[in-house]
Amino acid sequence: MTQPKGAGQADVRKRVAITGIGIVSPLGIGRQEFWTNLVEGRSGIAPIASIDVTSYPCKLAAEVKGFNPADYLGDKGLKYLTKGTKFLTSAIKMALEDARLNTNGHFPEHAGVIIGSALGNYSQTTDYTYNIFKLGPEKLLPMASFDVALNSSINFASVFFKLKGPSRTISSGFTSSMDAIGNAFNLIRSGRDNLLIAGGVEQLSLDSYLIFLLQGLLSGSNNSGPELSRPFGRYRNGFVLGEGGYVVILEELESARSRGAKIYGEVVGYGTTYIGSNRFSLEEKISKVQRVMELALEDGALSVGSLDLIYANGNSSKLLDMIEARAIKGLSVDASKKALVTSVKPLAGECYGAAGAMQVVSCVLAMENSLVPPIANLEDPDPECNLNLVTKKALQIDIRSAMVNSLDPAGNGSCLVLKNSS
Amino acid sequence: MRRVVVTGIGLVTALGATVKETWEAMLAGKDGISDITSFDTSRYKVHRACEVKKLNFNGHTITKKPFTVYDCLLASAREALEDSGLNGYELLRRDRVGVSVGTLAGELSLFEQRLRNHHLNKADGFDMEVALSYPPMTLSTQLAEEFHMEGPNIILINACSSGNHAICWAFDAIREGKVDAMIVGGSDVVPQTEFTHFHNLKSLAPEKCQPFDKNRQGLVVGAGAGVLILESMEMAHRRDAKMYAEVKGYGLSSDGYHMTAPHPSGEGPVRAMEVALASAGLSYRDIDYISAHGTGTPLNDKMETLALQTVFREMAQDIPCSSVKSMIGHTMGAASAIESIICCIAIKEGAIPPTINYETKDPECNLDCVPNQARECKTNYALNNSFAFGGNNASVVFGRTHLPAERGSVI
Repeated sequence: MTQPKGAGQADVRKRVAITGIGIVSPLGIGRQEFWTNLVEGRSGIAPIASIDVTSYPCKLAAEVKGFNPADYLGDKGLKYLTKGTKFLTSAIKMALEDARLNTNGHFPEHAGVIIGSALGNYSQTTDYTYNIFKLGPEKLLPMASFDVALNSSINFASVFFKLKGPSRTISSGFTSSMDAIGNAFNLIRSGRDNLLIAGGVEQLSLDSYLIFLLQGLLSGSNNSGPELSRPFGRYRNGFVLGEGGYVVILEELESARSRGAKIYGEVVGYGTTYIGSNRFSLEEKISKVQRVMELALEDGALSVGSLDLIYANGNSSKLLDMIEARAIKGLSVDASKKALVTSVKPLAGECYGAAGAMQVVSCVLAMENSLVPPIANLEDPDPECNLNLVTKKALQIDIRSAMVNSLDPAGNGSCLVLKNSS
Repeated sequence: MRRVVVTGIGLVTALGATVKETWEAMLAGKDGISDITSFDTSRYKVHRACEVKKLNFNGHTITKKPFTVYDCLLASAREALEDSGLNGYELLRRDRVGVSVGTLAGELSLFEQRLRNHHLNKADGFDMEVALSYPPMTLSTQLAEEFHMEGPNIILINACSSGNHAICWAFDAIREGKVDAMIVGGSDVVPQTEFTHFHNLKSLAPEKCQPFDKNRQGLVVGAGAGVLILESMEMAHRRDAKMYAEVKGYGLSSDGYHMTAPHPSGEGPVRAMEVALASAGLSYRDIDYISAHGTGTPLNDKMETLALQTVFREMAQDIPCSSVKSMIGHTMGAASAIESIICCIAIKEGAIPPTINYETKDPECNLDCVPNQARECKTNYALNNSFAFGGNNASVVFGRTHLPAERGSVI
C-alpha cells in the first residue's frame, strides 16, 4: 500500500494551492453568481421564509434560494438528506468540478474532507429529540436518524464521493470553517495529505435563530433599532443570520501543477488562539486579536506591509467590530501601506461556522478578479473603526497577498493568509 | 518536530470517578452496566446502560444525577491537570496551552430535560441556559475558562472516533511548535436521543456487551469522559514531569462506503492502522497491545478482525487485543479518549485489561481478546483503534518514553 509521503514524519514543508471553489449561498449558487451579486451589491437578505418567526422580533435573514440539489446530486435519496447536507455535498461537487477532478471517487489515493460547522445538523438532532417526546420513541423509524447528527453532512459527503482519506468535522463556533481550512492547510503542508476538501456549512433553523436571539446577538433584537447588517458602521446593532455551504479544494502545489490544475492562489499561513475569555479586558481582547493576525503572518513569513487586502470578520456586532478594527489598526501602525478592508456579511449574512470559508472564497475571487467588493450598507462609518474600508463601489486593485479573519466573541480568533501565485 | 508525551490522565466511567477506581475495576473484570436511571425506559426494549454513578470534585464524591457532558469532562480534566502538575509550572505560558475535546453532539441533556417536562412546541426546549450550552464549542471554552488556558480551543465532532481526533489535532499542534501543551479529552453521557437512535437501529445488546464473542448482540451505551494532558517532551523534561507514554503517530481514513455499516473487509481501518504505524516509524511487529474498537456489534467485530489480520499478518492471533467497552460500554465521543488513556496506563503499569463477558469463541474473530482475565504484559507500543459510524477511522500509536536500547526502530 502506498503511504502518504512522510506521513508527517520529517520536517517537510509543502506548498498548498487552492484549485477549486464551490458555493451554495444566499447570494447565488456557484462562484459566478455569487461573485456577480457580491460585486453589484445585490443583497441575499430578506424576510425569513424557512421557519416561523411570527412570535419573535427579528424577521430577516440571508437564506439560500433558488437552489435545486438534484442538479448536483441527482434525484435519488434526496428526501433523506437535510438542507445542510444538500448545501455541503453540492458545494463539494461544484468545487471538484471546478478543480477538474473526477467526482466519482477516483481521486489521488488519500483525498479527504475537513469541514467546519458550529451547529451542522444539530437542529435535526433536536427535531428527533422533540419527536421522541411528541410521537413516542417507537414511532421513529431507523431512517429517521439517517442524517441527523451534527456531522452527518460530512459523513454523507465522504460516502457520496467515496473519499478514502481523513474526514473530520471541526466545531469551534464562529471560527469552525476557518479552523477547518487552517487544519487542512497544515496537514498538506506537513506532507501528511495531498488533497483535502475544506470548508464550512450551516443551515438556518429554529435552533440557530433562537440561540442567537436569546443571546441578543441579532440585529434588531432587544429593541435595538432596524434590522440591518452594517459592519464598522456607527449605528451597527448586531448581525443578520445567514446560511450556506462554502468549499475549497486544497492541493499540494507540485502535484496540482503536475496535473495541470488551475491555481487560484496559495494558502501560506494560519494562526488561531483563544480570544473569548470573560477574564480578558477590552484592551487584552484587542491585543489577542492582533496576536492572531501576527501568528498567521509569521506562519506565512509575510509582513503586514505586504498585505493588499483584509477580509474582515466584520459582522456588524457592536463590540466585536470595534475590537477587530482596533486590532487591525494596531497591527498596521508601522506599515507604510495600509491594506484595504472589506466584509461580505452585509449581503450574505453571518453564517457563523461557515463564515470563515465564505470569506476565504470571497477573498480568492477578489484576488482572481483583481477587484475588491465594497462593504454594503456602510453609509456612516464608526470613527472608532477608522480603517481603509472599501465603501460604495468595488475597487480595482492587484492583490498579491491577503488576510482573512474569523472571530468568535466567546471562542477563537483564527486567521488565514493567502498569496496570489500568478 | 517536537516529540509529544502524555503527562496527566483523568477518567470518569461507569466503573469509577477516578483513574484509580476505573483501572482497578477493569483489572478485576467488573461490568459497569446497570438499569438506566436518567430517563424512563418503559417504552424501549432495552433498559440497561453504563451510566456514570458518581463524580469526584475536589475530593468530594457527588452522586446527584443525571450528570451533564460538561460535569464528566470537568471532573476528568481536573484529575488530569492535577496529575500532570502543569498548573504548578512557573514558566507556563497560558497562551500556549490549548484545549481540544471530542464529543458526539455536545450537551443535549439540558434540552432533553426542558422538552421532557414541557413539550408542546420544540421552542419550549430553549431558554438562556440551553442557548449558552447548546453549541458544542461551549464544552471546550468552559474548560479554558475554568483552568485559565488561552491557546487554541477546538471541538472535534467525529462520532465515535472524536476522542482520537482530538488527540491527533493536539499532537500536530504541539509537534509543530504552535503550542506547548493541550488539555485533550472526550466526554459523553447517555442522552435519550442517542439511546433511541441506537435502539431503533437495533444496535443495542439487551443485557451485556460481548465483544468478539460468537453470540454478541450489539453495543451497550456508556457515559464517561477521559482527559489527557499532552505536552512537548522538551517541556515535560524541563519541569521534570512524570510521563505515561509518548504519542508516536496516528492515521486517519474514511471508508467512503456507507452511512451506518462498516466496509465489510475493513479497508478503511486497515489504512488508518497502516498510516498510524508508518507515521510512528514502526512495523506491525512492534505493537504489543491493541485497544480494539470492539463495540460488540456483529458487523464491527468481524470487520475489525479482518482488518487486524490484514495489518498484523502472522502476528494477528498473538497480539493481545481487548475491548474495555465490555466493561464501561460504548462511551461514543469519549470512547477513544478513554481507551487512549487505557493504552497509556498499560504501557506504564505493564498490565492490560480484559474483554469481559466472553463466553463462546467465534471463528470469525480469531484474536487474543484477553478473555475475562486481566493480564500482565510488558507493553512498549500500544495501538488504539476507533472506527466510527459513517466509516470515520482514527488510530493512534502510543509508546514507552524510556525504551531499552535494543528497540532501535524508534525515530
